[in-house]
Amino acid sequence: MPVHIFFSLLTFCMMSAAVTAQASLKLPETVKVDPAALTGEPMCDPIISAAWREAQEIDGVKIEASPGCSPDNPAWIAAAVKGTNNISMDTLMKTGLSPDAIIKTDDLDGDGDPDRIIIKLEIMELNGKTPDFPGVLPTFDIAPGIQPGAWVFAPKMSGMSTENFESIRANPLLRLPSPVIRVEVGDIVQIVLENTHYFPHSIHLHGVDHPFSHGEHGGQDGVPQTSEVELMPGERRIYQFQARQPGTMFYHCHVQTHTHLAMGLAGMIIVEENRPNNWLQTLNIGAGHVRHPSVAVREQFDQEYDLHYHAMDKQLGEIIQKHNDPRLIARDMNRRYDITDSTEDYFTLNGLSFPYTLRESLIIVEPDQKIKLRLLNSGGEQIAVHTHGHHATITHYDGVEHNPMAQIMRDVFDIAPAQRLDLKLETVNDGKHSYGEGDWLIHDHREKGITTDGMAEGGSMSSIVYTSYLGKDGMPKVSHFGIDLNKYFTKEYFERRLPIWQDLDEWASLGSPGERTGLDTATQNLLLNVLYGLLAGLLIYLIFSRWGQIKQSATAAIARLKSPKGSNQ
Amino acid sequence: MAKTTTIIFLLAGILAFNTHATAQQQDKSSEQEKQDHSGHDMDQDKHDHSGHSISTKTGPAVDHAGEHSADDDHGHDHDIDHSTHDTHAMDHGDMHHHHHMDDDHIMDHEGTMIMGQNLDKLPSSCQSISEEVEITVRAGRKYSAKFPGTAFAFDQQQWHVKPCSKVTWHFINEDSIRHQFMMHGLPKYLYKYGMFHLEVTGPKTVSGTIIVPGSDDTYLVHCDISHHMEKGMKAQLVVGKGGKDIPSIPGLTPYNVTDRYEAEDLPKVSNKSSDKTEKDLLTLEMTNFSDPDLKNYGIMLISALIGLFLIPLFKKIPLHKKND
Repeated sequence: MPVHIFFSLLTFCMMSAAVTAQASLKLPETVKVDPAALTGEPMCDPIISAAWREAQEIDGVKIEASPGCSPDNPAWIAAAVKGTNNISMDTLMKTGLSPDAIIKTDDLDGDGDPDRIIIKLEIMELNGKTPDFPGVLPTFDIAPGIQPGAWVFAPKMSGMSTENFESIRANPLLRLPSPVIRVEVGDIVQIVLENTHYFPHSIHLHGVDHPFSHGEHGGQDGVPQTSEVELMPGERRIYQFQARQPGTMFYHCHVQTHTHLAMGLAGMIIVEENRPNNWLQTLNIGAGHVRHPSVAVREQFDQEYDLHYHAMDKQLGEIIQKHNDPRLIARDMNRRYDITDSTEDYFTLNGLSFPYTLRESLIIVEPDQKIKLRLLNSGGEQIAVHTHGHHATITHYDGVEHNPMAQIMRDVFDIAPAQRLDLKLETVNDGKHSYGEGDWLIHDHREKGITTDGMAEGGSMSSIVYTSYLGKDGMPKVSHFGIDLNKYFTKEYFERRLPIWQDLDEWASLGSPGERTGLDTATQNLLLNVLYGLLAGLLIYLIFSRWGQIKQSATAAIARLKSPKGSNQ
Repeated sequence: MAKTTTIIFLLAGILAFNTHATAQQQDKSSEQEKQDHSGHDMDQDKHDHSGHSISTKTGPAVDHAGEHSADDDHGHDHDIDHSTHDTHAMDHGDMHHHHHMDDDHIMDHEGTMIMGQNLDKLPSSCQSISEEVEITVRAGRKYSAKFPGTAFAFDQQQWHVKPCSKVTWHFINEDSIRHQFMMHGLPKYLYKYGMFHLEVTGPKTVSGTIIVPGSDDTYLVHCDISHHMEKGMKAQLVVGKGGKDIPSIPGLTPYNVTDRYEAEDLPKVSNKSSDKTEKDLLTLEMTNFSDPDLKNYGIMLISALIGLFLIPLFKKIPLHKKND
C-alpha cells in the first residue's frame, strides 16, 4: 500500500539527514600543492655563463670578479670602459651594442684617459601590446611571471630587440633599469638621445652640472615648459655638458614626468672625480656591482655597488598592454590616468624584484672591507632602506659630500623621491659596523616595499652576503637552515596560488583547506525544513482528499475498539 | 490513488537529490582540482620564455623550416677570423669604414649593417635568375601619417617580384634614429636563420641584394626595434602569386588583435550665433539682477492654472464611474 511506501521513505530520509549531519562535523581536508605542478625556474638563470663571474681582462680592460649568479657580461664592461670605437670586433659582437654606442676620443688634458665621451641612448618599450597575438612583447620579467609594461633608456644597440628570432624575450640590453652612466669631472660629454619610441621624450640631468642652453644643441634642461620642445619619435637631440662637480646624480625623461618617470625612463648618472688614467665604466647596464670602479673609488674602497630603487604602478603599466594605438595610449596616460589616485605596486632594485634581486643585486662582501654603495630612489614615495646586521655611514647627500666630522651612521636610510645617498659600508665585526658574517637582508622597511603587488616576499629586498654564505652558483647558501628558496622561483607564488606555509610541517597544518564535502549546516537545515513542509502538506492533502475514507475507517476503528471493549465488558 | 503515487514519486525524487548532493559535491572538488592543473599548464605555454609556440604561429617569426632543407652549412660564428674572408659587398651602399665579420654579416663603424646578403647563390627551386630588379624602400615617421594610429612606417607596404628574381634593396632611412629592413622566412640553407637584414641610422641609405626562391610565397618585412613593427613599420614581399598574407600591415591586412575605440566628449567650436545668445542670456541674468526665484514662481503659477483646469476633469472621473 502507498502508505507503507510513504512511511518507509520518511524513515529513510530521516536516516540520511542524520548521516549527512554526521559528515559535516569533519572540516575539509588540506589540499597540498604538488611541487611538480609548479612552473619552476632554476634559481640561477642558466643562460648566463659561469665564466662571466671570474676576474678577467678583455681588450686590456681589467674586470673584477663578481661571484653572484648573474654578473654583467664582461664584454659590456670592456666596451663601456674603452668605448665601442676602441674595442675589437670580436668583443663588440659579444655586446650586441651598436659600434657607435659609446665613443671615447681625445685626451684633452693629457692625463691618459679620453675626455670626449659620446653616449647614445635609445628608448625601448618592454612588455607592450602587439596587434599580432594576445600577449606582450618583448618580455621582461621583474619577478617570475611579472611583466609590467615599461619604457627604458637603453644603450644604442644593433640587431633584434628580442634574444633571437624565435624568442619574444627582450634582448639583454633592453631591460630595467635605464643604464647607470659614469663620466669624469671635466669630460666633454654628449648624451645623444635617439628617440626610437612612439612618444615624445627628453632627458633631464638632475644634479649634474649642465648648461641651461647650448649654442649649437639648444635647450639642455629637458623641460618642455622651460628650455625645449619635446623630442618627437624618429628625432635625435644632443645633451652636452662638462661637469665641474662630482657626485651621484639622476637622469630622467621630463616629458609628462608623472608617468614617464614611473614607466622606467630614469637612471643614475655618476660624475667621478678627475684622476689621471681614469678609464671609467661609462655604462653599468642593469646597475649593481661596478666591476671596473674609478681610480678615486679604488683609492678608498674595496668594492662599489649602484643600487637603483624604483617603484611602478601596475595600472599605469597596463595602459601599454591594453592599447596598441599610440593615440589611445596617449589618451589614457595623459588624460585618464590620475596619479593622485594611484598606488605603487611593484618595487624594484636595479630593475628587478625578489627573488630575481638574488641573482644580480646581492652585495657580496668579505670581512674587513670598505664598500661604496650609491643609492637612488626613483619611486614616487620616500623609502626606508634597512641594512640587517650593519650600520653604514652616510658620506654624501644628493652627490654632495657631507661634512666628514658630522657624518652619521644609521641602519635605516630614508631616501626621498629623486634623492641619492652615498654610503660607506664597513664589514668590520665590532658589533656596530657589522655583527659578523651572514646572509643579511637589505630591504625597504616600508613593508609594502617587500611585496610584489602586495604579495610577500617580493619587492626590492636583497642581501648583504658574506662569501662564506655564498653558494657555488652565486646564490645565498641557506639550505643548511632548511630553507628552500625554490618556491619563490615559480610564477604561481606571485599569482598567489601557492599556500606559502604548506611545507613548514609534514601534514601542512597551514596549507590550503579543500572545499567542504557534503552540505553545510545551514543548507542542510533548509532542505530538511523544505522536506518537512512537503510532508506536512502531503499529510494535510491526504486527510482532505480521503476525508470520507478516513472518517469511515476511523468510525470503523472506533467501532472495532468499542466492540472489543464491549466484548471485554 | 494516481495522485498519491505521483506525490510519493516526487518525494522520492527530492530524497534522491538530497542524498546525491553530498556525493556530487565531493566529485566537484576533485574535478576542480584537475581543472586548476590544466589551466596552469596553459599558462606555462603562454609565458614560456623561449616563446616558440607564439612566435612561430604569428608574424615576427613565420617558420618556413618545414618547406626548406634545414641544411645550415653556411652558418658562421662571429668569432671567425675576419682577414681570411673576401669582401663581397664593397660596392654596396655607402659603407666606407666597414668591418667585415663574415660573408653574411657586414657592419660599419656607425652600425650600418647588411646581414644575410646573397649575390650569387641560386635557390634550389630556380634554374636561373628570372629578372634583376632594384627596389627603393623609404622608412620614417612621416610615412605613418597616412595610417592613423601608427608611429613609424615604410613608404610602401607591399612589393611584388617574380620567383627567382635577384632583388637589390636600397633602404633609405629618413629618420635620425635606427631603422631596419628585416625579412624573415627565406630558405635557411641560403640565409642564416632565414633572414635578410639591413639596418642603418638615418638619414642614410644602405643597400643589399637577395635572390628570392622559385615558389610563390609571401615574406614578412619589418623593423624589429622594440615596437616599430607593432606601431606600423611592417610590410610584405610577394613572390609570384604570393602565399598567405602577413597580418596587421597598415592599410593592407587586418590586425589579429584590435583596440577598442570610443567617441570622446571633446570641446568643439560651436555655432557662432547660438554661442552668442548663450553668452547673452548669461550676461543678461548677471547684469539684470533678476530674481532667480521669479522663474520658479512663474512655473508655480502655470501649474496652479493647470490644476484649476483639471478640477472639473477630476470631478468627472468618479462621476463617470458612479454612472457606470
